[in-house]
Amino acid sequence: MYGLDAITANNGWHMAALGISIVFTGLILLSFTVAQLHNILRLFDNRDACCKKIRGLFKKNNNKQEVGNSDLTLPNNIKEAAGQCKLLIERIGEPFSLPRLIELSEKCGMSHPCSTINDLILAGFIVPDGKGYYVWNQDDQNRSGA
Amino acid sequence: MENLLMEFISNTGFVMADYRHIIMIMVGVIFIYLGIAKHYEPLLLVPIGFGILIGNIPVFKGLGLSLYESNSVLYYLYFGVTSGLYPSLIFLGIGAHTDFSTMLARPVLMLLGAAAQMGIFITFLGALALGFAPKEAASIGIIGGADGPTAIFLSAKLAPHLIGPIAVAAYSYMALVPVIQPPIMRLLTTRKERLIRMEEPRVVSKREKIVFPVIGFLLCCFIAPAALPLLGMLFFGNLLRECMVTERLAHAARTSIIDTVTILLGLTVGASTQADIFLTPQSVGIFALGATAFAIATASGLIFAKFMNLFLRKKINPLLGAAGVSAVPDSARVVQMVGQAEDPTNFLLMHAMAPNISGVIGSAIGAGILWSFLGG
Repeated sequence: MYGLDAITANNGWHMAALGISIVFTGLILLSFTVAQLHNILRLFDNRDACCKKIRGLFKKNNNKQEVGNSDLTLPNNIKEAAGQCKLLIERIGEPFSLPRLIELSEKCGMSHPCSTINDLILAGFIVPDGKGYYVWNQDDQNRSGA
Repeated sequence: MENLLMEFISNTGFVMADYRHIIMIMVGVIFIYLGIAKHYEPLLLVPIGFGILIGNIPVFKGLGLSLYESNSVLYYLYFGVTSGLYPSLIFLGIGAHTDFSTMLARPVLMLLGAAAQMGIFITFLGALALGFAPKEAASIGIIGGADGPTAIFLSAKLAPHLIGPIAVAAYSYMALVPVIQPPIMRLLTTRKERLIRMEEPRVVSKREKIVFPVIGFLLCCFIAPAALPLLGMLFFGNLLRECMVTERLAHAARTSIIDTVTILLGLTVGASTQADIFLTPQSVGIFALGATAFAIATASGLIFAKFMNLFLRKKINPLLGAAGVSAVPDSARVVQMVGQAEDPTNFLLMHAMAPNISGVIGSAIGAGILWSFLGG
């Protein structure tokens, strides 16, 4: 058998097409790997700095997680404590100092006033005003514990 | 005594020779002449040429003199060819010789080495169309890879009866690279393209060179495991060269081992071209297809380089595409020669080595693929 019939009968077209495709794939992959080789080695050289960066990222995440986790430790009755505090703050006026709020809370018989006010700060009910005092956060959406 | 003398005379080459032996002896002499006088691949053509002389001395069958008689010395030496041992050892030497840094500096040029392998597969189709059996067609097609050891390796695996003509065709055309390639290069490129200067490649670190043979080997052999005997030795040889702690082994691989194997390979391949086996219409077909394979491989590389230029911001000199055929380093030298004919201050040799070396890898992968397709 000769000519195109011979090629078709012997599966020549498929073998040739697949063969050249595999050669190209192999060399493209090798080319890509080689092109990245010096970058990989550079990364390996600076592995200490990279590790530090990665550790730093993890630490940040952990801090964030800690903040997040503190939400979980908030008491279930945070809304009730928030309501009490809001009344006290309306009484002393905004902006207010934290020692003054704690003192008033103690006088009003709030249990563990330092811890409760701390929870309210972490939950975003009480926020700093940037001038050394605190204000009541009116924006419900920014409260993580609400 | 008279009978004894007559018997001796009847067993001499003068009586037993016919015209085919004379033709082959002339071919052998031409090979030796080309190697010595014209310096065309002398390290290959001189052993092959002398091997042709050895193989074509008419001998009395049964005395264990012919390469094809199982008890002859030449038969045992030829075992290295039929088993694929010599090509693998040659690849070890090539690896220990080769500096891959130009390829590592500009890996995109490796695609030219892949493009030039089109010659293998198009010639494979051509050989099938001419009526060769698939295994024979694959062995003929690999001549387009322009890589003698690879051609011998694949022929030994798929069509051992064609090793002689295929090896002689492959090495002849490799020797004739400076004659075959330049007209095709000039035909397919404009003067403006031939004048393109390549930018200086970046410096490649020693560690890149050490890591490359390991990564290259794993990647290539996972893709085409059948190329393991060739690529394994190539990358191993290169690791010996680059790792700095095995200099003695690398030195042995690139000097005594490759030299010994080249002698044995050349001589036995030459000796395998015995007139009654070699001078057949099939051999003529193999030579014609081999030349076509070389031309197609060169043209494919050039055209692909021009195609790449459509997308590259910094254009590459398309002549580099011709170096994709893996005749190391001859085709790279031809690129340099043709480039300098247009601009004597344009140095392309270093850049041409990248597609040239990737062509070696590409043709070994190609051989592995064909072996895995047809070897079963």
